[in-house]
Amino acid sequence: MEESISVRKKKFFSQKDWTGYMFVAPLVIGVLIFAIYPMVAALLMSFQRTNGLSGTWVGLDNYIRVLLDSTFWDSLLNTLYMGFLSVVLGIWLSFILASLINGLPWTSWKNLFKSVYFLPNVVSAVATSILFSFLFYPDEKGLLNFLLGLFGADPIGWFTNPSFAQNSIVLMSLWGALGYNTIIFLAALQSVPRDLYEAAEVDGAGSLKKWWYITIPYLRPIFLFMIIMGTIGGMKRFTDVWLIGGTAGNPAGTLLTSVLYIYRNAFLASQMGIATAASYLLFLTILIMTVLMLKLNRRDTI
Amino acid sequence: MLQPKWESTTRTRAASHVVLIVLLSLGALVMVIPFLWMLSTSFDWGARLTVPFPPRFWPEQLTTRTYQMAFMNIDMMRYLLNSFIVAGGVIVVSILSALLSGYALSKIRFKGGGLVLVLALSTMMIPFEMTMIPQYLLFDAMNLLDTYWVFYLPAMNYAFGTFLAKQFMDQLPDSLREAAIIDGAREVAVFARIYFALCTPIIATLIILQFLGVWNDLLWPLLALNSPDKYTIQLGLAMFTYNQGLNQLPAVIMAATTVSLVPVLLIYIFLQRYIVESIALTGIKQ
Repeated sequence: MEESISVRKKKFFSQKDWTGYMFVAPLVIGVLIFAIYPMVAALLMSFQRTNGLSGTWVGLDNYIRVLLDSTFWDSLLNTLYMGFLSVVLGIWLSFILASLINGLPWTSWKNLFKSVYFLPNVVSAVATSILFSFLFYPDEKGLLNFLLGLFGADPIGWFTNPSFAQNSIVLMSLWGALGYNTIIFLAALQSVPRDLYEAAEVDGAGSLKKWWYITIPYLRPIFLFMIIMGTIGGMKRFTDVWLIGGTAGNPAGTLLTSVLYIYRNAFLASQMGIATAASYLLFLTILIMTVLMLKLNRRDTI
Repeated sequence: MLQPKWESTTRTRAASHVVLIVLLSLGALVMVIPFLWMLSTSFDWGARLTVPFPPRFWPEQLTTRTYQMAFMNIDMMRYLLNSFIVAGGVIVVSILSALLSGYALSKIRFKGGGLVLVLALSTMMIPFEMTMIPQYLLFDAMNLLDTYWVFYLPAMNYAFGTFLAKQFMDQLPDSLREAAIIDGAREVAVFARIYFALCTPIIATLIILQFLGVWNDLLWPLLALNSPDKYTIQLGLAMFTYNQGLNQLPAVIMAATTVSLVPVLLIYIFLQRYIVESIALTGIKQ
């Protein structure tokens, strides 16, 4: 009896299978404990009033409280505004940049520009925020305000004036992130088939027309990829706004983002239920936007 | 340009290329100016209390004392060392995990391998901001908060590295493994002696990506570390600025920031090819 069981076992999981499981064990354990478990735990927590240690079941109460909290909506709108602006400006700027660099006939110049434009990408969000807080100094001593002053404009409170702070953050993240998309676009531009251009040249198309009617449509999947990745990245904005605006998202709460909202509820107010509910709402927002973008893209191509 | 039909327009084309270079150089200058200002200010004795006016790109009074002050006021040496320790640990754990599973998924072809890959890849889409609260509470329950286990343990979950490693190993021949197994070698030996060595390019890429990621991260260290002597460089720098208030002590802060950038800039200067290639590669693959 014992023998027959072990024989059957051997048939189902061979020696090779077991070796395989040994090899993937670290990954699988990591995924289970640090991805699957937290997702489930967060979901359960979002239905409880809890400080993380003990909790009572409250059903949809947390979700209702979050959805009725105007601060949550403010933070979501702030996040969406900054994310949207960074994505739109960032993608177009980097695409134009990549097209210009790609138009150069000399490889050494191409490589030089590639390296320089990518450089800010390795700089941390902390260093970038600290550095730009000086460059965006609110009076005429700041470099940017000094330049404005040369044109006779009054100094701007880049990070201190509520009506400028979000745009300043976008400007700063453009500096930091531009090179990343440029590199991807440059690689993608190499993949456009030469004969498409040649055919267009025969038809008498100029370089701007070729760019508009061949390059851009051909790179459509890359654009979509960048819009989606950029949106996801933008929805997770935390470090720079935390360092510049504090946990209040100053000035006047304009830099309060969704992740900052989650962070405040979880780690300042110990409202883990509210925080996890908000994190699920944020996740849903990201998910819906991603699916929507993929759907829209599919419909257009058909 | 050697083609005859372009000959007549060669001159205008050359002119347009010069215009292009000038335009791109201006943009490049905008990218570089913040770095120049940071460097200049960090050596500028006149900038220790307030931002100099008018803005300058060469110190009025060149000094390295600002750097000494940075190291005295901020525990830079310790923070840098801590960051290296954390980065080293995360790199070892994550890349070992990724290579082991990449090898198994590519070469051993065991039952359920496809499921493991799909599971790992699908969790890649989960943002860290979703999982950070339960993860924090989990480490709290294990009494491991404020230790570096908070970095090493989650490093096992490196789906992206696994994906790249599997892709890479798919291109390596199976025959090496088969021959070694027939000769009686054990699977671990085949992995360690043959395929690990062949994976050097992908290992280099993963080390660089992981180093940059760990070195520059703030959110998780901010949540998980409490004692200042355990701070990473980003957290140390951030907490100092946060407590001091922004826009204070420009020269000292810029000196500290410059120091915090040295490792990543060195990596960028010497290993740029790997970074740029890996981004172009992953960007298009995804």
